[in-house]
Amino acid sequence: MTLLSVRGVTKRYGGLVAVNNVSFDVAAGELVGLIGPNGSGKTTLLNILSGLADPDAGEILLDGKPCQGLTPEKLAHRGMMRMFQLTRVFRRMNVIDNLLVAGRALGLKPGEALDRARSLISELRLDAVAALDAGQLSGGQMKLLEFGVCFMVPPRIALLDEPFAAVHPTMKEIMGGFIRSRHENGQTFLLVSHDMPVVVELCPRAICMNAGAVVIDAPTRAVLADARVIEAYLGGQAA
Amino acid sequence: MTTQSPPPSRASAQLSNTKTTVEFRVALAAMAIVALLPLGVGNAYWLGVLIVSMYFAILAGGWNLLAGYAGQFSLAPATFAMIGAYTTGLLNHYYGVPPLLGIVAAIVVSGLVGLLLGRAVLRLAGPYLALTTLSFAEIMRLVAANSIDITRGDLGLGVAGLLDSRVGWYYLFLGALTVLLVLFYLLLRSKAGLFLQAIRDDEVAARRAGVDVVFWKTAAFALSAAASGFAGALYAHFAELVTPELGLIAQTGLILSMVVIGGMGTLAGPIIAAFLVYVLSEWLRDVGGYQLVVFAALVVIFARFFREGLWGLAMAAVRRWRQA
Repeated sequence: MTLLSVRGVTKRYGGLVAVNNVSFDVAAGELVGLIGPNGSGKTTLLNILSGLADPDAGEILLDGKPCQGLTPEKLAHRGMMRMFQLTRVFRRMNVIDNLLVAGRALGLKPGEALDRARSLISELRLDAVAALDAGQLSGGQMKLLEFGVCFMVPPRIALLDEPFAAVHPTMKEIMGGFIRSRHENGQTFLLVSHDMPVVVELCPRAICMNAGAVVIDAPTRAVLADARVIEAYLGGQAA
Repeated sequence: MTTQSPPPSRASAQLSNTKTTVEFRVALAAMAIVALLPLGVGNAYWLGVLIVSMYFAILAGGWNLLAGYAGQFSLAPATFAMIGAYTTGLLNHYYGVPPLLGIVAAIVVSGLVGLLLGRAVLRLAGPYLALTTLSFAEIMRLVAANSIDITRGDLGLGVAGLLDSRVGWYYLFLGALTVLLVLFYLLLRSKAGLFLQAIRDDEVAARRAGVDVVFWKTAAFALSAAASGFAGALYAHFAELVTPELGLIAQTGLILSMVVIGGMGTLAGPIIAAFLVYVLSEWLRDVGGYQLVVFAALVVIFARFFREGLWGLAMAAVRRWRQA
């Protein structure tokens, strides 16, 4: 069953077409990798999907209902949860409060939100820093905390933008395990990453973008072997 | 085999609430001390100084909610006090509306104006928000000063008093301050406190987490303005006179210095600092118009070196003492 449907989405910034007539579907329970070289439009597409930018054309359906143009908070309530490439946490609030913000905003009762926060803190191995302000955490711990914020109420689809970038291998392992176990339980993901081994390991299917357009949408190994993908990453000579 | 640390206890999980509760208790203890002061301070002048300190403490608490907790750096807290004062003043002067009803009207009107201002500046932040609210403040003050036919301008508008006894006024202001302190505490312990601080720290992240940023920012503006309007209305009936001077930017400067010196984003700091700063400013009255220079310098020093203000310094001292 299709959970997310992106149809002909286009976004222009002046003369630059950042996202050009992009279309794809994501089925419920799928873990789809979104790859492409820098500047290919992946983050712009995620900005559109998460309500931070409005598309100039096209349609986005979540659970069959249009959702383009909705605010990020409304999309969060509909289950579209975004993790940012440059980590965004509430730096002057402690780890638990960071999680409680999402829990309470998404409708959990106080006790329920606290229990969920404790469970996520344990799962993400943030126990030792639970009472610290988020601004005191390491970069990797902040990423883990942002994971937790996204999963205080399990989203319909999690949009992860480069979660593994510049992260210690141990943290990467925790994040990989977290994604894997959630996916096994039916969680849907759209994962943007430059880390190809991780994409190959986690994502059965991948979409490659270049210059704002979808180059190929196929099983991950087929995508990585495609000449157009290699050309997109390495330039014309490699093709 | 790896050893996992135990999950955090409920006690540690409620750490920030505990912090707010400690601040609340200290503020209540300070109020208890203030309640005893009339026993030792018989001088009507100094009682008046303490009453005006409490007026400023309400303004500082209201502005701290908006700037310290929600991160919305408005430069119009004194303006809302002026709006509250003129609301009850005009109602009383022209229509004979009793002070208590006028004070309720002042809370509603200043809250509504705060809500409208909050909506108008919703997409502004940092210096743009500060400049826009500063312009609003000056426009409102000039309108009050120049609407001579209605407000009598700088001559001031005579307003009925409420109590005859200065000690009575003292305890009325103390009661009002304590009620607001309790309301702010309950607000900060609720999800509203979480959401306001989340908006202060990162508005985009707050929206991503599902926080209705438009609602909560507007609510913070309205609540802060209503608190200021309440203080202004009380002051109007205490002074039995309303003038545009209530909305002077210098008054906002005093409020700002109280919050920064006391500790922005702490419940007790700005309220306690309101007493220290105002009493100090009265002591410094003999040196002419230099009070604001002294406080401006203190604001710069605290903003640069002691971001958490006197409250932060006191907490650091307590931690060191416990570790010793």
